[in-house]
Amino acid sequence: MRKFSSGLLLSLVAVIAFTFVAVDAGAADTIKIGFNIPLTGDNPDVGASSKNAAEMYLKKNPKVTVGGKTYALKFFYDDNEYKAESAVKVSTKLITEEGVLGIIGPQSSSQAVPAGEVANNYATPMISPWSTNPNTTLNRPYVFRGCFLDPFQGPVIANFATDELGAKKAAVLYDIAADYPKGLAEFFKEAFEKIHGAGSVVAFESFTTGDKDFSAQMTNIMMTGADVLFVPQYYSEVPLIVRAAKEMGWTKPILGSDSWGGGDLMGLCGDDCKGYYFSTHYAAAGAKGATKTFIDEYTAAYGKTPDDVAALTWDSLGLMVQAIKDTGKLSGDIKADRTKVKDALASIKNFPGITGNMTFTPEGDPKKCAVVVKINDAGKFEFFKSVCPK
Amino acid sequence: MDETLAPKQTGGIFYRVGLFFKPVPLLGYLIGFLVCVLWEQLAGEGLSSLLGLPKMPILFGLLTIFKVLAGIVNFLIKGDAFHWARLVEIPMALVYLTVIYLVPLALVARAAVKPANAMARYLQKFPLIITALVQLGLMYAVLHVWAEVSDYRLIFLKLTLIAVLFTLSLNIINGYMGEFSCSHPGFMAIGAYMSSLFTVGLFASDKVLGDAVFNFSAAYLTFPLALIFGGLMASLCALIIAIPSFKTRGDYLAIISLAFLFIVKSFFENMQALGGSRGISGQPDWATLPVIFITMAFGIWTINNFVTSTMGKALNAVRDDESAAEAMTVDTRKTKMAAFLFGAFWAGVSGGLLAHVLRYVNPAMFSVQKLAEVLAMVYFGGLNSVYGSIVGAVSISLLGEALRPLEIFKWIVIPLLLILVMIYRPTGLIAFKEFNARQVFGPKEVD
Repeated sequence: MRKFSSGLLLSLVAVIAFTFVAVDAGAADTIKIGFNIPLTGDNPDVGASSKNAAEMYLKKNPKVTVGGKTYALKFFYDDNEYKAESAVKVSTKLITEEGVLGIIGPQSSSQAVPAGEVANNYATPMISPWSTNPNTTLNRPYVFRGCFLDPFQGPVIANFATDELGAKKAAVLYDIAADYPKGLAEFFKEAFEKIHGAGSVVAFESFTTGDKDFSAQMTNIMMTGADVLFVPQYYSEVPLIVRAAKEMGWTKPILGSDSWGGGDLMGLCGDDCKGYYFSTHYAAAGAKGATKTFIDEYTAAYGKTPDDVAALTWDSLGLMVQAIKDTGKLSGDIKADRTKVKDALASIKNFPGITGNMTFTPEGDPKKCAVVVKINDAGKFEFFKSVCPK
Repeated sequence: MDETLAPKQTGGIFYRVGLFFKPVPLLGYLIGFLVCVLWEQLAGEGLSSLLGLPKMPILFGLLTIFKVLAGIVNFLIKGDAFHWARLVEIPMALVYLTVIYLVPLALVARAAVKPANAMARYLQKFPLIITALVQLGLMYAVLHVWAEVSDYRLIFLKLTLIAVLFTLSLNIINGYMGEFSCSHPGFMAIGAYMSSLFTVGLFASDKVLGDAVFNFSAAYLTFPLALIFGGLMASLCALIIAIPSFKTRGDYLAIISLAFLFIVKSFFENMQALGGSRGISGQPDWATLPVIFITMAFGIWTINNFVTSTMGKALNAVRDDESAAEAMTVDTRKTKMAAFLFGAFWAGVSGGLLAHVLRYVNPAMFSVQKLAEVLAMVYFGGLNSVYGSIVGAVSISLLGEALRPLEIFKWIVIPLLLILVMIYRPTGLIAFKEFNARQVFGPKEVD
């Protein structure tokens, strides 16, 4: 027994000595950034895209120089399971346990709204790349977002339908149960009716998440004689709707929103979607400069074109790192540094992102241009027009 | 043959440990835990840096261990770089757990047997409520000190306590009454929305619900009213399930209740006055740890009284054989009605708490995923048992948090555990065990 315990003690001492050597090596001079993203749950593609973009960023820029001192970047990926409770837990954990300087994510509004509350309470800068709910950043000085908002995107599409397609009567088909499509559908309706007068949106048809049969709604839309159909839906639903429309004999244009660009739209929709337009954050086909470099490198690394989640995560990360650089000097006191980063974020002007130049409004929402793309005959999203806020 | 009998005769390690702790009353454990958490506040930081841990282990070292394991898994599968020196964090986390929790708990609990028993015996002379209050106060003190160390612990603890109450409220229907109800997240949603309507509508300015109606500083005192309002609305809606349950049983009732869940969800999605799919945010920050603890303790107390009353025994009779129960003059309709309404009430209250912890509520939170989670807690912990619900909710919450670094493998490990539990203990870990408050809080007499 005695032999055993002295052996145990000796090995313990050895192990402790070993750990000291190992841990002390890399602890200092790192900048930690947390990722609150859905790696499992209902929407793992979103989490995977975010993580891919972040890993690629880290590979390209492993070090950051702030005020003459070089820091190693360190990323913490934590899974929020696409659940609000988990997003709150993850944000608290990243802030209090990992001691991150800033947080990227959550991507979807249902998690970004409660997680934004946590970030703001702990005075930690957070950028949600993809959340469109106004409540995410409302009255929260520490919370920012990387994408344009629906009140801007709605009029872009309404103007496009009027100017380029000459539409006078529009129909809308949207998912009433999901936050994003519903909001956008309403903004589009408002903008279109402002141009053409009340009642010019002749059909405002809805369905519920998971519906597969759209024939009833399409029949109504066909009867109204609308010139254009607006479908602010996700890539998985768009093919079903487009096919239902074609079966009913719809030959006029169909317009989409930035959600068309997330995921594998062309793989699911094939030839049916060619020739339609949608508004989005950037156009992959025919991109130039930094955007093209990003797309090429991403495609080479992961074997697929980056979706808008990946592009927006990349830009949000770029914004965060730029703000850290702009602070001039990090004091090492994490609480003071977080506030400094927030102030730097708020004062960033014309950040050259791959999804366009960005400047934050006082609410933490970016002012940036939207792009209207056309799905060309090769199935690529081709740049058609750029619309900037006035 | 010999081996199966062996533990009792020669005294296996578990048996001996059991014997060692047999005379310790709950009060002794509480004192032990209090010493542990205070000891952690004093020595935790120092010890963890002495052990070379990057940060104080927050969930009894579990999180530290699984983070390292996740690193190994990623190394094996994706070839990510793994620092082999990190491997020592696993034994170090265990050392931490032993030094901070296990050893002091064992020593203090065992050493305090005599005074603790004497005190418990003394307290027993008073009405049960006083004994209970003293020990619950001590329990709260333990949790409070434990959660003080880190805000992550605090949010984890809050959500776990809510999960305990929610699980127990489902256990009334699925465990004690033996029906399979899928409607519970729906009740929770109603409670969450209605209490938010109460607090946000009356006391906070919000875009969806308009300006505050009342504006006084002691408004948080109305929070119990908000929770009760949420609970009552949930039980009102539970009538939709309770009435069909008179004539429907088993799978068919399960389908009706599932339909109810979808009705509730799409109701809130389409209800623009309540924010639709965007939900309501900006709930006042009233769900603090003491509020949640008191609500949970009160909930457990009333639920336990309910299921041990005549009405509770009638529930069991209905579960075992409805026609026999009817023949023995049990009013089955009244019984079922009471069970559904009572279960829904507490589900509504836990929903109200959840909404005020997250300070946000939207319909997507109460989907089938939530249902799967709470069913797992009920069946993992054990049917027909208060202990079971507590154990189930706490262990699933703890596992969910500890296994988070494993990402997708978490969803292999937890279901696998559930399958194993279902094979070896088909009714759950601690099923059909009555919770006798007098015995729990009282002294342990050693023979």
